[in-house]
Amino acid sequence: MLLHDQAKYLALVLGISFATLLISQQSAIFHSLLLSSARDLSEVDQAEIWVMKPTVETFDESDSMSELTVSRVRSVPGVEWAVPYYQSTSRLKTEKGRIKVVQVIGIDDSSMVAAPRRMLMGSVTDLLRPDAIIVDASGFKAIFPDQELRTGIRVEVGECRGVIVGICHLGPSWSGMPRIYARRSLAVRMARETLNPVTYVLVRTRGNLLPNDVCREIERRTSLTARTRSEFADATIGWILKYSGVAENFGITILLGVVIGVAIVGQTFYMFSLENLKQFATLKAIGLKNERIMLMIAQQAAFVATIGYCLGIGLASLFFAVSSPALTGGLRGMFMDPWIFGGTGTFILVVTFIGCYAGVRRVLNVDPAIVFRG
Amino acid sequence: MSGVVCRNVEKLFDTAAGPIKVLKGVDFEANPGELTMLVGPSGCGKTTLISLFAGLLSGATGSIEVFGRDINRMPAGDLVTYRLGSVGFIFQQYNLMAGLSARENAAVPLIVAGRSWEEALPEADRLLQRLGLGEHLEKLPSQLSGGQQQRVAIARGLIHRPRLLLCDEPTAALDKDSGRTVMSLLRDLAVHPDRAAVIVTHDPRVYGFADRIVSMEDGRVTKVETKSVSGFSEHEE
Repeated sequence: MLLHDQAKYLALVLGISFATLLISQQSAIFHSLLLSSARDLSEVDQAEIWVMKPTVETFDESDSMSELTVSRVRSVPGVEWAVPYYQSTSRLKTEKGRIKVVQVIGIDDSSMVAAPRRMLMGSVTDLLRPDAIIVDASGFKAIFPDQELRTGIRVEVGECRGVIVGICHLGPSWSGMPRIYARRSLAVRMARETLNPVTYVLVRTRGNLLPNDVCREIERRTSLTARTRSEFADATIGWILKYSGVAENFGITILLGVVIGVAIVGQTFYMFSLENLKQFATLKAIGLKNERIMLMIAQQAAFVATIGYCLGIGLASLFFAVSSPALTGGLRGMFMDPWIFGGTGTFILVVTFIGCYAGVRRVLNVDPAIVFRG
Repeated sequence: MSGVVCRNVEKLFDTAAGPIKVLKGVDFEANPGELTMLVGPSGCGKTTLISLFAGLLSGATGSIEVFGRDINRMPAGDLVTYRLGSVGFIFQQYNLMAGLSARENAAVPLIVAGRSWEEALPEADRLLQRLGLGEHLEKLPSQLSGGQQQRVAIARGLIHRPRLLLCDEPTAALDKDSGRTVMSLLRDLAVHPDRAAVIVTHDPRVYGFADRIVSMEDGRVTKVETKSVSGFSEHEE
């Protein structure tokens, strides 16, 4: 019956497509943003534990510690190795005078733990050269918008000279600042913070010991906070959800998708049931029960929901397929996780059935005796 | 066995202005093998009466027996089964499903009763061919004339071989010729020794097709005429 009414069928399909597009695209961006807040943690896969000051709540808001901290952590039983990691912000100035605030990451001079994993130009060992820095590709584009990726460019970071010796590929970060890697000894000078040159101590556990057990031991012996990588990532994401307002903003947009979906589906099914009330009453008079009428309508709702979902998710996928390969821009690194496909599909089905039920309640209550009324 | 027999049927409706008695002690009979017409002015209670026969209305007093079953005391769930198996409907506005073809519309009661489309459609085709719609089986209602749509509705009303056929103003929306054709087909196909047919009508042009004419006024049966060789003979109620 519904499929015969092409205008309503089209309105339903378009409404569900739009709701699917809105829900899936916004969920994917939200999910990608949350992941980006803990991106730098996942880049350092050699370390199982991150040790920090107890006041640190999130990865980006770190607090520096003294060099001695590393030795204290190394002395804890169960620690196989511990290396310092430094991060801060500084001001980068190009030869042409262009200024950019950058995130400076200082990796251990000797072990090179936490060095970038995916180099596009140069190699990590080039950091051993004087004044050497590695810039992430999207950061390079932000600093030198008119130039192709290349090495050998001289810059000034803080009050130190730097030479770009490599370009690496990194996922997008929460702050969106260009990231430059340097040996820690150089990085602390670039950030002008020589007294407390350690922000985190990266730890690898010994043998078969559980990282959680080693964390507790480190905390007991040093009064510092020790977290496994996943614990720290969860804490960072939790902090973002709680304090950044991003969950509310995306939540409102996703809610809008739900409201639009329910409203369009509900309104269309309501109009459909009003216009076909006599036909439904006839079916009930003949002997069709409400359960079968609901099943019949639900089948049609599921059909339009499937078509609308496929169109909407196709558009969302197309959006990410087109925008993701770009190295720069606010959508860099955004992607749709498989669970978003399934989650949105389930959500759309529920939204369609809620809207459908709200719209056709009248059919269930219609008195079949109206068939004999003019 | 009698077809429809009702005795002293009364029906009240609650309205904002207070209860209104629509049927005031109706006695009525419709015999199997006969075409009974129920006639009378608007508001006299015809529609209420056939709604009671159909099991679409409840709460009347008196007795209403259809082929020996007292449907006035039947539980609601049984009424659905009763309608599905025993009652055929034909309406003034046809009430066909816009998205279904003529043959699919005709097959609806069989589908509702649980038969498959493969079983139901050939039966619908045979009936529609007898109704002269053999060339219009796949057409949608919107592609058929009023008379053709009413013939599809007749097929839908008869396909499950109901024992009671209830028709509400079947010719009201048709011109004179189409109305006569529809009544003629209805008479040929609906009248059966095992079936009682009750037609509510305002249209005096079709009275000649009736075996019995029951006149109602103000909630009461006022006159019953039965057809004999010499024409209709009148019995005052």
